[in-house]
Parts: sequence; C-alpha cells; structure tokens
Amino acid sequence: MYKNQRITLTRKFEFSASHRYWKKDWSEERNNEVFGPCTSPYGHGHNYDLYVTLTGPVDRNTGMIINLTQLKSIVNDILKDFDHKFLNMDTPYFQERIPTTENIAAVLFNLIDGKLSTNTGQVKLSRIRLYEMQNLYADVWRD
Amino acid sequence: MNLNYSFSRIYTFSAAHRLHSPKLSDDKNIEVYDKCNNLYGHGHNYSAEITIKGEPDPETGMIISMTVLDDAVNEVIKQLDFKHLDNEVSWFSDKVSSGENIVRYLWQELEKRIGSEKLFHIKLDETNNNSFETGRKLNE
Repeated sequence: MYKNQRITLTRKFEFSASHRYWKKDWSEERNNEVFGPCTSPYGHGHNYDLYVTLTGPVDRNTGMIINLTQLKSIVNDILKDFDHKFLNMDTPYFQERIPTTENIAAVLFNLIDGKLSTNTGQVKLSRIRLYEMQNLYADVWRD
Repeated sequence: MNLNYSFSRIYTFSAAHRLHSPKLSDDKNIEVYDKCNNLYGHGHNYSAEITIKGEPDPETGMIISMTVLDDAVNEVIKQLDFKHLDNEVSWFSDKVSSGENIVRYLWQELEKRIGSEKLFHIKLDETNNNSFETGRKLNE
C-alpha cells in the first residue's frame, strides 16, 4: 500500500569554525555599518549545528531510505574541511563570497548534494538547516 | 535545480493576557478558555521565529541585513514586551489575545516593515507545548 511513499530523514552534525564578514572593496565604515561586530579583524567563531534532510523511498530490504553510516561518512568527509577552520582563509569557498550563514548553508547544500547524487540512487537531499546560534539559522531547500 | 533560501531568527518577549470573548457568556468563556480565562490574566515568555525568504545578496551574502531585520522586529516586539496585551495594546481591544491572533498581529506589523516579498513564515511559541504558525508556506 505504501510502496512508493516517500519518507524524509534528518540527521544532525556539528562543526566549529571561525569567520569574518568583510568586503574588501568597501570602506571600513561601510563594513562596520552593514556587518557590525562580525567584522572584527581576526574573525570570531561559532559551534554550528547542521541538519541534513533527505527524502526518498524506503528500501524494501533494509527498511531505510539511506544507510546512516554512508550518510555520516559523506557528510563528515565534507565537514573535515570546515571543522576547526577559519572559513575565509582555510577553505576555497569564501574568497569571493562572505561566509554568512546563508552562504555556508548554500555551499554545504551543493557539496553534500554532489556527493549524494553520485552515491545514493533515488535518495535526494531535500533540505539543509544550518544553525549558527540557537536563535539564528538558514535553510536551503529544493522545490 | 531550483533552490530556495531562507534565514530565520528567534526573538523573545514576555507579556500578560486573558483569553475572554465578549461575544460569549461568562460561563461559556470559562468552558472554552478554562484556566486561560483567569480574571486578572496570566503571562508567558513568548518566542517568535521570523523567517525571511529570498536570494542572498551577491555583495553581502545575506538575504536581509540583520540590522534591518532586528530593527523592524524589535520595534514590533517593543509594543508587546512587558505589557498586558488586552489592556495595553489597542489592536487586541476588540480581539481575543490568543496565540493565533498574536501571530496574525506579528505578521501584519512585520509585513508593513519588511514587505510581503521577503516575510515568509512566523512561528510563535507560547509555551514549550503550544506553538502557532502563519506564512506563505508552512515548513514541512
């Protein structure tokens, strides 16, 4: 009866990183006006909580939409480059883009989606929710 | 691939209210609202999760400037914080200050300030167990 029913699954990951909001071609005043304390010269950090939501049919043999060990290894492999790093300097993604919550979530969506599409058949990444603090998060999702 | 982006921030305020409808008899009010009909009111720590949808600005990487959002939301919340909603906020003088109506009020006031293009969703927690939502599309 529920053979083709699609189920979503969410797993939480954590990483800690520092970042700085600064636009090179803007004056110091303009940077401070727009980004406030996020402009501090040596960066500042957060413990990020990342919720990865997948959607897909339940595998008839395993009862799962994805093997969580596989999901963990895909995501943790990607997060290795973010965890305990200064995002502006230690990753290639934020040379031209400011590492805002929105942009980090967008980068992570594309990285995870790229790995998943090649590895997991019918299961799709449907949403990324990235908490920068308990009262602040960004979502990226597919239609 | 069509991707959507949203940004959410949670704000808190504390207020008193009494659920009481002048359209109902006193007995009916007690029956409908139970302990929330308590004569002299009661209060909650409310938390409002405001979600803004749009493309991150290519220059700033943000969907909305956080200062702009904070200013808009704080201006609205200031009118409710540490107030008795029914007695001190005129919008509630002819409406029951239920969670549903508070979330409607927040939507209406924020829409004026942020615009209906960007304002996407509001979730109001009244207690750990009660929440009310409104928006252009509920989060799945």
